[in-house]
This record gives sequence, structure tokens and C-alpha cells, in this order.
Amino acid sequence: MTAAAGFGAPGAGTSAAAPAIELESLVHVYPEGTRALVGVDLRVAAGEAVAIIGQNGSGKSTLVRHLNGLLRPTEGVVRVDGRDTEGIRVARLAAVVGLAFQDPDRQIFAGRVRTEVAFGPRNLGVRGPALDRAVADALAAVGLADAADANPYDLGYSRRKLLAIASVLAMRTPIVILDEPTTGQDLRGAARVQAIVRGLLAEGRTVLAVSHDMRFVAETFRRVVVMREGRIVLDGTPEQVFAETAWPVLASTHLEAPLPARVGARLGLGSTPTEAALVEALVTARG
Amino acid sequence: MLELRGATYRYAGYARPVLHGVDLALRDGEIVGLVGGNDAGKSTICLVASGLAPLSIGGELRGEVLIDGAPMAGLSVHALAQRVVIGFQNPATQRSGVAATVFEEVALGPMNLGLPVAETLARARRALATLRIEHLADRDPARLSGGQGQLVAIASLLAMGARHVLLDEPTAQLDPEGSNLVAAALRDLAATGAALLIVEHRTDLLDGLCDRVAVVDGGRVVLDGPAAATLEDPRLESWGVLAPARGRLARALAARDLPGMAALGWPA
Amino acid sequence: MAGGYLVPLALVAIVLASAAAGRALRQLLWISLLLTFPIAVSVILVSVLTRPGDTVLLVLGPFDITLEGVDFAGQTLVRLFAISTAIGLFTLTTDPRAFVFDLERRGLSPRLAFVAAATIEAVPAMVARAGVIAAAQRSRGLDTEGSLRARLRGVLPIVAPVLLSSLTEVEERSLALEVRGFGRPGRRHLLWWPPDRPVERLVRWLLVAALAALVGVRVFGAWPPIP
Repeated sequence: MTAAAGFGAPGAGTSAAAPAIELESLVHVYPEGTRALVGVDLRVAAGEAVAIIGQNGSGKSTLVRHLNGLLRPTEGVVRVDGRDTEGIRVARLAAVVGLAFQDPDRQIFAGRVRTEVAFGPRNLGVRGPALDRAVADALAAVGLADAADANPYDLGYSRRKLLAIASVLAMRTPIVILDEPTTGQDLRGAARVQAIVRGLLAEGRTVLAVSHDMRFVAETFRRVVVMREGRIVLDGTPEQVFAETAWPVLASTHLEAPLPARVGARLGLGSTPTEAALVEALVTARG
Repeated sequence: MLELRGATYRYAGYARPVLHGVDLALRDGEIVGLVGGNDAGKSTICLVASGLAPLSIGGELRGEVLIDGAPMAGLSVHALAQRVVIGFQNPATQRSGVAATVFEEVALGPMNLGLPVAETLARARRALATLRIEHLADRDPARLSGGQGQLVAIASLLAMGARHVLLDEPTAQLDPEGSNLVAAALRDLAATGAALLIVEHRTDLLDGLCDRVAVVDGGRVVLDGPAAATLEDPRLESWGVLAPARGRLARALAARDLPGMAALGWPA
Repeated sequence: MAGGYLVPLALVAIVLASAAAGRALRQLLWISLLLTFPIAVSVILVSVLTRPGDTVLLVLGPFDITLEGVDFAGQTLVRLFAISTAIGLFTLTTDPRAFVFDLERRGLSPRLAFVAAATIEAVPAMVARAGVIAAAQRSRGLDTEGSLRARLRGVLPIVAPVLLSSLTEVEERSLALEVRGFGRPGRRHLLWWPPDRPVERLVRWLLVAALAALVGVRVFGAWPPIP
């Protein structure tokens, strides 16, 4: 793919040592004066799975939009795969960072699912059999293979959201960012999203998700970053971030640890962010 | 009382009905939760129960929809709006766009009904007080957070004076703070004695709030009973519904022969 | 010939000065240009190229560009600009809600009043929506920073979802409005309308009288027409 020239595939060549994403003292002030990011430092290694949580207005969306160049830093540096993003057009960064937006209806424009999914790779210069393969693989990954020729608006909302994710998966970017992927999804849709994330990680891709869904976050990601008022206030594993000691920080940003974490803490079992962890801890405690 | 009897509904331009013989009753002062997978027909049930389907959006309705004992057919949209109101998930689409302040926005409904000024003002004040958002009265409706916007939308519905309030996924597009705001407001709403039908994916919200919960799957009501029992039904997941966290945890514990939540000292 | 320019230019000067006093000059110029531009282009083309006259300035293929033609175009443009700046000033200085409420209490149907007010609010919302859509499409590789050709290709992926999503939203919006009684026939008891001061009432009557006088003077031929 010519558009990806200069950026390596997951874990390949010269960029193997560089972090997939690096933010250094990132500051972003919107034109009307809002200080959305007030100095963010973040390093994400290739192949990591990171969830970013926080209230609306905490800076999560602003942060994530810097990663593909939609927003440019007011101060500070953004590096993707070791390279500074300054001066690189969004259309070129799109070959490395795939950002799937929250509202599918704010991007769907094609008359067929297949065409919609092909839009992304097509913009990257992919054609012919390679394009067909990319589309087919993406549709299979989200479970829409049977709807390839349907009109996107004939699909229900859940499946349209999966379509939006597929259209980014088809671009085969080493870094994939999902914005609120489980919001508005029913149980099956949410389970499918979890499977998609696990599939991407198995392929060695770096996955970031912005989410309100604490259960999704605790069960799917090994690293959780909590944002409040433009800065990162917590950064660690779900066990660390949802531990009792972290609750005051979480509460200060209107977040609450998932129920298993709260039950586990109350019972003195340590940090148990998921149901499975809580059950295991209880089984162990029983002896 | 709002009642659907054998409601079968087909959207205009579609070949097949989305609802098949739905029976559902919403009694005065009752709080009913409606759950089910996406596209199960929950929103359609709301549209039919509000009378907007088929009156406003067309389509074909078979079976009966009764409001306070009399058939809905024959009532105008505006007459219906004073008996049953419906709220949607997106606060932005429910904003009229012609009100400069939240107070004006909430007062628009009674004003549209041609009520005298004194009555309009009283209803608006009451609605804001019920949801405890008097402090938002002078704010620009377009500049509110998602949660606040949704509360304003619900207040605007309350001001219509309807005794039946249907809410279709009120927290679906909200962040945790917004969801908490709305969840708290739902309790205040319940205390007014209005009949509430709440469609929600977040069963945790319904847990402890609803008297009854009905499950919709494939356009049919497949389960309808007391909230506690329904939300613990093991078949929920097969219908695309995530059971409330407490119930899931209780079942996971039981499956491993561990003491239940109550025995562990977790409050009911 | 100069006389035809004097009055419109004087009017434009008054309007622009008022706008400057209200610190809305730049906005006014933009609005006026946007309003006048499409008509101006056709006026210029038609008058300059085809209007007959005695003094030929330039021959362009089959067209004789005459002084009279250019003068006509000039006078028309100035008049157009005078009208558009006046309209522009009105929209900039009038609170749309106050305007619409005032019309309604004088008898305008509430439904029309609502449509007028809602239309005014619709534009910024659409612009915001287009922004979100553009961001999503750019994230999928749509190049909006490249060559003109690339940017033209980008029009459909942005315009289509703006229209589609607006349409799908229209149904939900109209249902939400119906539930709140919009569109119900009959008068409303408005909570508020802009106060009418005696000074403003006087000015209004004077303006109406002035308009009637101008029309009369024109009709009875005391003012020279455009040649």
C-alpha cells in the first residue's frame, strides 16, 4: 500500500522498538478558548490494548483525534509509530491509524454495505482482488458477511455500528481506535465488539477504545487510562484502576467501578474488576 | 390505563409486520420496564402505545390500543398528547430549536395547547420542580450536557400533563454522569404517580425502579411479570438482554456453589 | 448617468455605517456578497454583453461591449447591493425569536411562526453535522487537504450523509414536536413578545409614509428612470 510508505506493519522492521503511540506534554486549546488537554503524556506500545475512560468533556475525544491528525497540538508532540505527525495529512495517517466514529449515521453514504466498507481501503489506493479480500475479511470479522449487498439503512442500528467498524477494519491499519463501540449495542452486538477487539489483538494490532461501558472495559482491556479535565489521572491495569484506593479519583470524575470490583473490595478479596475475577477470588477464599 | 391488545403493526412501505399480537398493559402509577435486543420491536411498541403509529407515521395496525378504556383511534394527535407522551433517546432531536431558555422550552408544550398564560407558567414550573432542574431555567437549551438536555426533554413532556409517559432508551446516548442524572429523575418521576414505560438496555437502571418488566423478542412479548423475577430469568441472554449486574453475579456464584449475595453480606 | 448611482451608494453608506457602529460590518459584507453574488454574475453577463448602445468599448467575438451596457450593469449592481445590505442589516440586528413572536401576536399562524423560527436555527446545526461527518470520512482516508480534484471527489461522501442523516432525523424530530402540540390549529397565548415603544411605532409609520411617497413619485414620473 503506497500510502503506508514510511510506516511499518505491526511489529515490523525499523519501528519495532518505537512505541505505537507517543504523546509528549500534549496541550490542546480550541479556538474559542476551551483548554481540552492540559499536558498529556502517554506511551502505548505496539500490540497493547488500552481503554480510555472519563466524562464527556474530560478530553478523551480530543486526545484520540490527535492520533490521526484531525486535531493538531497547540503544544507538545504526537508521535505515531515513532514518527512525528506534524505536517502529515490526515489522509496519509489514515493508513496507520484507523478511527471508527461513534455514530454510524454520521458517515454512511453508500447504497450497499460492500461499497461502504470499500470506501476506506479504496482511499488508500487498494484495488482489485486485494480490495475484495479486505472488504470480505472486514465483513466477516463483524458478522455482516451475509449482508454484503444490503442497503446500510436496511440494517438495524446495532449492525450499522458494526458496519462503521468494518469500514475501518478493512483499511488494515496497525492501530485501531474505537469510539464508544458498545454504546447503543445490544448484548449480541456488544459481544461481537469484544470478539473484534480480541481478534485485532491476536493479529498484533494496537487497539484503543474510548468507552463509558465499565464492564466492556474491565473485561477486554489490560490497560485503562482515566481522564479528567484534560489530563490523565489514572493509568494502569483494570485491577489497579478499579481498586478501592482508586475509587475517590473515579468518583471525582463521576465514574464508578464495576459491581464485581465493589463487591470484591467489600468482601476484602482485593481487586476483582470482572465477574470471573470475583468468582475465582471467592473460590480461592473458600479453599 | 394504557393497553395494547393483540397489537400487530406493519410500518408503511414494509412487507412484514414488526409486532405480532402484542399484549401489554400500563396501569396508573405503574412503572414498567421494556427490554429486548435491538430490533426486537421495543421502539415500535412505544410508537404504537403513544398513538403516533399509525396516526402520524402511517402503517397498518391490527388489534386494539385503548387509553383510559376507550380506543385510541379517533383521537387527534393533540388530544392524545395530553394523555400519553413519548420521549426518545437523542436530546438534540427533542429540542424545539425555538426557545431561548430552558423555561421557555418546557413552557412551549402547554403554550401550544392554547392554555392561558397562568396555567402555562404553572405547568412549566411544576415540571422543572419535579425533575429538580429549576437551576437550569435560564440556560440555553442548546448548550446543555447530554444528561441535562434529556432532563429538559422529559420536563417538556411532563408539562403536557399526560398521565402516561413512555421513554424510549432515555440514557442510551448519555455518559455515566448523564445516565445517573436521568436515573435519579426517573425515581422522582415515578413518585408523581404517572404511569411510566421505560425501554432500556441498561437493566441495572430498571433494577429496583420498575414494578414490572416485559421482554420483547421478535415482535412478541415473551415474558411479562414482576421486575425482580423477570430480571433474574435465565433466558434473558437468549433474548439479547444483559441481566442486571447483581443478578448475573448471583447466578455466577450459585453456579460455583458459592454463598449468594445476601449471605455474603451484600445489601439487597 | 452619475445620478443613478448617487442614491443607492448613499443608502449603502448609511447601512454600512450602521453595521460598523454595531460591530457587524464584516458579517454584513459576507451576507450581502453571498446574497448578491449569484444574481450579480448573471446581470453582468447579460447587460455587459448584450445591451445595445452607441459607444463601443470592446468587441468580444459576436458581442459588442458598450459603455451603456457597462453603466447599466453598474447601476443595477449598486441597487442590488443596496437592497442586500439592507436585508442583511435587518437579519443581523433582529432577534429572530422576537421577530417571529411579534408576528404571531399580530396574527401570524403559530405553525408558520414555528417554521420561520426553526429554519433560522437549522443552519448552524447543519454546519456542525457536516463537520462531524467530514471528520469521520477523513479518518477513512478521504483527502480534503490535497488537490482540487481530490477535494471535489470528497463532496459526495460529506454531502450525502449530511442529507441522509438529516432526513432520518426529520421523522423523529417531527414526532417529538407533535407530541408537544406543535401544529395544533388555533391561537396560542404567548408568554412574551417584544415590547412596542411609541418611538418605534412612530418610526414605522414614517417609513411606511416614506415608502408610499417614493412609490407615488416614481409612478407619477418625477424621478428619472434608468436609461
